[in-house]
Amino acid sequence: MKAVTEREGSVQPATRKKKKKGFWATFKEQKILYGMSLPFIIVVFIFSYLPIWGWLMAFQSYRPGRSVFEQKWVGFDHFVALFTDEKFYLVLRNTLAMSFMGLIVGFTIPILFAVLLNELRGSVFKRTVQTISYLPHFVSWVVVAGIVTKMLSVDGGAVNQLLLWLGIIDQPIQFMAQGSWFWYIVTGSDLWKEMGWNAIIYLAAISGIDQEQFEAAKVDGASRIRQIWHITIPSIAPTIAILLIMSIGHLISIGFEKQFLLGNPLVVDYSQVLDLYALNYGLGMGRFSFGTAIGMFNSIVSIILLLIANGVFKKFTKQSIM
Amino acid sequence: MKQKKRISLLLAVMMMATFVLAACGGDSGNSANGGQKENGGTDAQQEEKLEPMTMTYYSADSNANWVNMQDAVGKKLTEKTGVTIQAEYAVDGSNQKLPLMVASGEYPDLVFAKGDANLFVDAGAFIDLTDLIEEHAPNIKKVYGDYMSRLKWSNEDEAIYVLPTLAAVDHEALDAGGTFQIQHEVLKELGYPELKTVKDYENALKEYYEKHPTIDGQPTIPLTLNADGWRIMISVTNPAFIATGVSDDGEYYIDPETTEAKLHYKRPEEKEYFRWLNHMNASGLLDKETFVQKTDQYEAKISSGRVLGVIDQEWGFGNATNALRSAGKENRTYARFPIQLDESTKDATFQDTGYVAGWGVGITSSAKDPVRIIKFLDYLASEEGQILMNWGIEGEHYNVVDGKRVIPEEVQERKTYDNANFTKETGIGLYNAIFPRYGDGVKDSTGNYYTTNFPETIKENYTPSAKETLKAYGVEMWKDLWPKKEEFPVKPWGVAYNIPVPSDSNINITYKKVEEITRKRIPEIILADPAKFDQLYDQFIKELNDAGAEKMEKEYTELVRQRVELWNS
Repeated sequence: MKAVTEREGSVQPATRKKKKKGFWATFKEQKILYGMSLPFIIVVFIFSYLPIWGWLMAFQSYRPGRSVFEQKWVGFDHFVALFTDEKFYLVLRNTLAMSFMGLIVGFTIPILFAVLLNELRGSVFKRTVQTISYLPHFVSWVVVAGIVTKMLSVDGGAVNQLLLWLGIIDQPIQFMAQGSWFWYIVTGSDLWKEMGWNAIIYLAAISGIDQEQFEAAKVDGASRIRQIWHITIPSIAPTIAILLIMSIGHLISIGFEKQFLLGNPLVVDYSQVLDLYALNYGLGMGRFSFGTAIGMFNSIVSIILLLIANGVFKKFTKQSIM
Repeated sequence: MKQKKRISLLLAVMMMATFVLAACGGDSGNSANGGQKENGGTDAQQEEKLEPMTMTYYSADSNANWVNMQDAVGKKLTEKTGVTIQAEYAVDGSNQKLPLMVASGEYPDLVFAKGDANLFVDAGAFIDLTDLIEEHAPNIKKVYGDYMSRLKWSNEDEAIYVLPTLAAVDHEALDAGGTFQIQHEVLKELGYPELKTVKDYENALKEYYEKHPTIDGQPTIPLTLNADGWRIMISVTNPAFIATGVSDDGEYYIDPETTEAKLHYKRPEEKEYFRWLNHMNASGLLDKETFVQKTDQYEAKISSGRVLGVIDQEWGFGNATNALRSAGKENRTYARFPIQLDESTKDATFQDTGYVAGWGVGITSSAKDPVRIIKFLDYLASEEGQILMNWGIEGEHYNVVDGKRVIPEEVQERKTYDNANFTKETGIGLYNAIFPRYGDGVKDSTGNYYTTNFPETIKENYTPSAKETLKAYGVEMWKDLWPKKEEFPVKPWGVAYNIPVPSDSNINITYKKVEEITRKRIPEIILADPAKFDQLYDQFIKELNDAGAEKMEKEYTELVRQRVELWNS
């Protein structure tokens, strides 16, 4: 693997120096490659760029079933309505809080888990743990929410039973009724559900590390911790960086299933997120324009976050996805 | 080398072609489904009648028993009319799919839009049915009779866009289903005490709870409510006006003298009701999980038989009642009473509304053959159709004995104890939201009732414990405990909650905000320290007003007045 890259590396600059080709020349030479990627570009265009046309709606008082020319134009009214709504800031706070918590926990723990799992000797045990740990990923949020609510219930919930039995508390705690705990409950259940699944990609990256490096380190007398620190972690660093950049891009659009399913009237100040707000106050009420305005805000913030993250990483680690 | 290049070029082209074909394939498939023949030829009438047609249908209500017309009634219906309904039901009874449907501009042929018909009308998606009914639907006309004027959309637009189907014509509620429920077992043990006010109710629950802190080894729950999503209205907030002598007008209270609308929470009487709930919580009688549980947990609790009292409509925990029955804990099912906050008011549940037009089905502009659809609905609305829908197939689900329709015992038994499966197999009652029909208590040309619910069958179908309880209170039906409809004036606006609101109106936005505030604050208020109750409640009302409630109430008052004018012109 390494040898191959080196050879390519040495050959390419040489050919490039010989004649500097223009775009069309390259295009002609690689027309088959271009042709092969064309279908995918078309798909991306149709599904990701064409719908942007619909952003026009955000500046109209959109009524379905009429053409663009029959709509009433209202300028930035919907954005004004959005930014003056107190609720918007509340849901934005909740969204960012939960996504940052999710990012921190949901990022470090799977890496740790993958590294530790990799250190295990018994392959049967290792595989069993791995399989069991990623199974929850396939369980629907509806079911997970049911399990979590039942576990934390005051009416015979396992967690309360355990705490009571240990004598830590003498009255069952209403976990689901504490607004401030809601974020932690969401983060925790998300971690339980996705930890194993997220670890898979790191495990794959780890298994791609050249074993000779470990052997050499062992000969030099490096302890296991040293090996992890100096070989495993640096080797998977590019994977980590790419995934981190991508998840920063998704910070603001975290979906609403978990919050919707785990929430209840008592914690609504902590459970409402941007996507749910867009659904309830936009589409759900037939306010297509308002919904579009929220969507636009969402996309623009996501792009900015992505560019910032990418820029920062490029600067410090020379890793980037663009 | 050249060969290779050609092959890869070919591959690329083929891939592109596949994409294009896939896209086209989807299209042609759709049009083949939806575009059944469009022949309106009159001479081919007879043939056309049996020519198979697929009608697509979307309902904003959920229906767990739909089996794609593979039930007995469904098969018969297809045989009679040639129509197969391809139905889609909302999963959770929410209306979230409707706006998307309107935005896409592609509709099923027939849509049951609940409260959101205005979205379709504003988008021009529902067609005017006035002429269609006039020309092709004598049965539908007959069913609505004098109430045809209540079908008109608005004062400005007198077209008929929606055939009201949720409410049956001339329907009389034969029995009471709400609101304060208490286990038969509790009443029996306490010697059937008089239950008139919430205090009586509380004392009964408390007394039994003190005697039996556990049931079947699990802690007893004296009272629980369901606050999951929209159910909070049924189980927590609506009982506030029910217990203070007002009939259901949704979230509003309409002053009968001035037809002025205001949010019903603002009535001082209701504040006292919530104070009582607050007190129930403070004294430990209200289930601690009331506001965090989901509907399935709520039903599971009730099914375990250890919930003494529930404030909810009967249908709100129907699954649990069925579970209790099948588990042989029939004595743990519930009796219900017209309980009031104090003795100064009487339960107005049965106040007469006249025919409540409103929620129903509309034929969309996507429908290829509206005439065929209206004829299909007309068949359903005919005497033959209605009997088929309600009673099933003669000789199979009912027999005619001495000119009277009688349901055989074994059929009735399954219907009572195994209702879900029975409905799936027979299809009886499954199609009711689709067509205009008569309600309970109306008789057909043979002198039989159109529906299978009439006082006699209801009385027969009470479980032994229910019969025992009723006997102890000296009545034959639950409804007998309630004040009669004659004791109240007729409401000229029908019911306020189905007055359509224009979709560009601010009412909807404010309503949503009010709803969110209510669903958040009411639980908080009920769970608060009783000393803080007044302060929190006043704060809640202020918050409602800050969100624009007063302006919304004014606009709504206007809509109510327009409705009164439209219906009584």
